[in-house]
Amino acid sequence: MRDNLGMRRLMRWCAVLCIVLLPQFSWAAETSSANEQAQRQTTQPGNNAPVWRDVRGGDNLYQTTQVRGIETDVLVQSGGETWRQIRNGPITVYGGWLLVVITLLIGLFYGVKGQIKLHDKPTGRLMQRFTPWDRVVHWSTAISFMILALTGMVTLFGKYILLPVFGYTLFSWLAILSKNLHNFVGPLFAVCTVLLFFTFVRDNIPKAHDWLWMKKAGGLLSGEHVPSDRFNAGEKIWFWFGVTLLGIVASITGFILDFANFGQGRLLMQQANVIHGIAAVLFVPMALAHIYIGTLGTEGSYTSMRTGSVDETWAKEHHEYWYNDAKTRQGHAPGGAPSAAVAAAMKEGWK
Amino acid sequence: MARMKFLCDAERCIECNGCVTACKQEHDIPWGVNRRRVVTLNDGVPGEKSISVACMHCSDAPCMAVCPVDCFYQTSEGVVLHDKDLCIGCGYCFYACPFGAPQFPQDGAFGLRGKMDKCTFCAGGPEADNSAAEFKKYGRNRLAEGKLPACAEMCATKALLGGDSDVISDIYRNRVLKRGKGSEVWGWGTAYGKPEKQPAAQPGAKS
Ligand code: HEM
Ligand code: SF4
Ligand code: SF4
Repeated sequence: MRDNLGMRRLMRWCAVLCIVLLPQFSWAAETSSANEQAQRQTTQPGNNAPVWRDVRGGDNLYQTTQVRGIETDVLVQSGGETWRQIRNGPITVYGGWLLVVITLLIGLFYGVKGQIKLHDKPTGRLMQRFTPWDRVVHWSTAISFMILALTGMVTLFGKYILLPVFGYTLFSWLAILSKNLHNFVGPLFAVCTVLLFFTFVRDNIPKAHDWLWMKKAGGLLSGEHVPSDRFNAGEKIWFWFGVTLLGIVASITGFILDFANFGQGRLLMQQANVIHGIAAVLFVPMALAHIYIGTLGTEGSYTSMRTGSVDETWAKEHHEYWYNDAKTRQGHAPGGAPSAAVAAAMKEGWK
Repeated sequence: MARMKFLCDAERCIECNGCVTACKQEHDIPWGVNRRRVVTLNDGVPGEKSISVACMHCSDAPCMAVCPVDCFYQTSEGVVLHDKDLCIGCGYCFYACPFGAPQFPQDGAFGLRGKMDKCTFCAGGPEADNSAAEFKKYGRNRLAEGKLPACAEMCATKALLGGDSDVISDIYRNRVLKRGKGSEVWGWGTAYGKPEKQPAAQPGAKS
């Protein structure tokens, strides 16, 4: 209790100090160059160095213009050149190659491993895996994401890939369409992401047994059966780092870029664009992997999100704990003994 | 071929905004768009300086490099122009430009900014020289008429110079030689320090 009080007092003091001191500092910074200039005039009338030193700063109180608008009193803004180097450099080049490499890897994986099939025969008995609400939220997010990814890629890479093919006029039409789709679907995606988070967060809480799944890479390479909850560790990683983290980062920076009418300066827009671009070139490859596993890569996955239900065999082979839980909740114990995989996992122990 | 450039002599600019007005009038520019503006450094402080700034028609133009639809082009005289029919109004040229030259007619909610507009060095756009379509989108094409930019022509103190870079830098160099100051381009003021008459500075004082 006492600690708490002390802490609160300390924080209040800090806040007061900040409020009192900050304007002093900025005032000092803003006027020092002006003072320097005034002094310089008496000693070296021909030396305007202090004036020119400020040209790139623009935070000088005495730098003015008659033209109204955002940052019209800034003569030279240097951030644009940095932004150009980063955006036209690493983001375009490495981001582009990352996309190509991941696509090729997925193709290679499919070529080598093919689709993961069910081992046992379908029972014909269906279990509900996704409620209608789950599916509406998932598909709204997924469709808006795909629109954003495609249209965003047109803005970032189109000049190098599509423009030479389509020519200037046609590509410009495509770019205008892309830009408007992106800028209107963006906020929709942000809303969907929040809904998706709350819809699926409960079953994405990491559990001890997710470690085992991770260690065995979900049996993706070995073909071994690794039991999991409603969502396995791979899906949880996609949920937390993809949907949640990258989704929030892309949404926040997207909003900054989308609503220039709030008067944010160029530096913020440049920074937002860089972060948005990095988030995008990470998000899209992750999404490609997710889409692959959810469609081509696994037999029965796509229909589960499409129709909401899965065959009991599918449930048992892909999400055995969830299957067992669902069966228990239905009032009768899962038929027969636990599968060999569950028995093995139990023997190895979670901790 | 001449290389067209702007140069603003800060020792002469009196912040009358005549260039800004001349530009607006010459090209019939809508409200809210300012192809040229005058910025005053250390306004009200002894030694204040004003500079008229617009698109500087950069050699390795940043706007050109980032435009997603590649709608910029540079004329053989070094003037950076763009095609409004292709522009998608993304604002990237504005993020990249050091001088804040690109302008937009709309406020940018949902990324809707309208087509970018900027100083053309009074050289119009891709349409036929002095056609109605060219005037409507880019303003008058004075270079095609054999005239220099309206802002520089209008400048009462001849602070703002626009034209062949060899010619205007000669004019500027002569001025600097005559008046013996305001030679930031070559750094004279800094190099030669205080005038002789001043008492010697105390050791450690800033120079
Ligand atoms: C999550 C999926 C998203 C992806 C994959 C994505 C991707 C991209 C990409 C690649 C660019 C081009 C960057 C460049 O050319 O430098 C871009 C630009 C942009 N994005 Fe996104 N984005 C996403 C979400 C959003 C959201 C949620 C918003 C708005 C709330 C948004 C608003 C914007 C804006 C305003 C631009 C500037 C480009 C323009 O105006 O045309 N984005 N995005
Ligand atoms: S718009 Fe800006 S970056 Fe482009 S040429 Fe003009 S001054 Fe240079
Ligand atoms: S606003 Fe127009 S000119 Fe500027 S970068 Fe975008 S498309 Fe190119």
